[in-house]
Amino acid sequence: MWVRIKNWLEIRIGLEDLIRAQLTEYRVPKNINITYTFGFVALTAFLIQVITGFFLLVYYIPYSETAFRSIQDLMNTVPYGWLFRQMHVVGSNLMMVMVLLHTLSVFFLGSYKKPRELTWILGTLMLLITVTFCVSGYLLPWSQLSYWATTIATTIPTAFPYVGDTISRFMKGSEQVSGITLNRFFAIHVMLLPLIISILIGLHIFLVRRIGISPPPFGKSAETERPRTEYRHESHPDGYPFFPDFVLKETIMVMVFCAVMFFFISFLPTFFLPEEANTPADPFKTPAHIKPEWYLLAPYQMLKIIPNKFLGISLQLIILLMFILWPFLDTIEEKNIFKRPRLRGLFFFSLILWIGFTIWGKYS
Amino acid sequence: MKRRKFLSLLLTILGFTAAGSFVYPLVRFLAPAEGKTKVKQISLKKAEILLGEAKEIALDSIPILIINRPGKGVIALSRVCSHLGCLVDYNKIQNNVICPCHGAIFDLEGNVVSGPPPKPLQRFPLKVEGESIVIG
Repeated sequence: MWVRIKNWLEIRIGLEDLIRAQLTEYRVPKNINITYTFGFVALTAFLIQVITGFFLLVYYIPYSETAFRSIQDLMNTVPYGWLFRQMHVVGSNLMMVMVLLHTLSVFFLGSYKKPRELTWILGTLMLLITVTFCVSGYLLPWSQLSYWATTIATTIPTAFPYVGDTISRFMKGSEQVSGITLNRFFAIHVMLLPLIISILIGLHIFLVRRIGISPPPFGKSAETERPRTEYRHESHPDGYPFFPDFVLKETIMVMVFCAVMFFFISFLPTFFLPEEANTPADPFKTPAHIKPEWYLLAPYQMLKIIPNKFLGISLQLIILLMFILWPFLDTIEEKNIFKRPRLRGLFFFSLILWIGFTIWGKYS
Repeated sequence: MKRRKFLSLLLTILGFTAAGSFVYPLVRFLAPAEGKTKVKQISLKKAEILLGEAKEIALDSIPILIINRPGKGVIALSRVCSHLGCLVDYNKIQNNVICPCHGAIFDLEGNVVSGPPPKPLQRFPLKVEGESIVIG
């Protein structure tokens, strides 16, 4: 039976050639390390979000009067509803971790450099989309935490003169965060963002395959020997086969990811769902010491210490723009960060600053 | 003008018209609905707010704080913090108004004492008519 299906496909799409060209004879650099699997793990995390998100949609009612109740019912009465919701909540945070780790490792290995500028830009856009996913999904349970975190997020644009108020009202669809805001965020979360991120993922993977995997810069490579003046696919004939060698490495990392996810679900179920997440939204009571999610604590703290709101937000936007366009700002050909003390200093300084601001934001 | 250039110009104009005729309805579709412009008023009994106390009310869904200040009379301030929209609370012990989100402190006039808010709290018109307080 299986052979007959295989033959049927072979005649029509050339299955064996496809497997040979894309999997077994497609080779990855010999000195590739574990950080090269982060992208695949992030992709798997996204797929987990899609699947569990679909399950949640079966019971979730996106209406301000019923949203909180439907989530509570899902957690308490629907068989295994708690499992899929926890997988979605914990998975979203871990997906953020993986996307950040992937971005950091690409930066550290200098893989953003020519000819991979576009791949980097697409990756940073996906990082932003991931944050937007988290922010838009945050409102949906209609809890105190969701309501007030969204109030803050949708008020941020008011820092900009003339257009700020209009942008803020467009986001909310009303003067305050309301049922209209919930509907908008719901539509964005389940329809618009998945569409955008799917296109970006497709383009990102296409570029990785089209240009070829960037080898670690520690050691000699053909890339540094020959300056690039025209398109050339970077192959690694002496490398390991993508399948099964590298796929096995990726599978191990996916298993580690799942282990961490189920550790949180089993032993720290309230880690990402504090008390305010289980209290229904009250538009007339802001809870004390409301804090954004961990990945937004650094910008939150920065905003807190800069006295001028416009200056604070403009500064963050400039940093973000520099980050996206970094391949065009760093034009030095040397990819090895250990041979570039200033870049190394900047990398670690920024990383420590971000961690420092995050801890400060958490405990301030 | 050559026929080819004319056609490409026509196509561009048609393209922009088509895009515009889609964008305009989209913007109108997403724009928040215009709220009712009539200004509502709310009336309270003076005795409801003791001296040095405050009361939280909602006027047209806007959260408002009415404070009966010793020696300075009653004042109506918006509870929406001018920084990022969290709701401020009256602090009787320290005689000020505090935002729980970023720790901003306002005095009882609504002016910023410390913290990141760029402007004072919005003040609402208030009249004392006999034993009643009329806000709005």
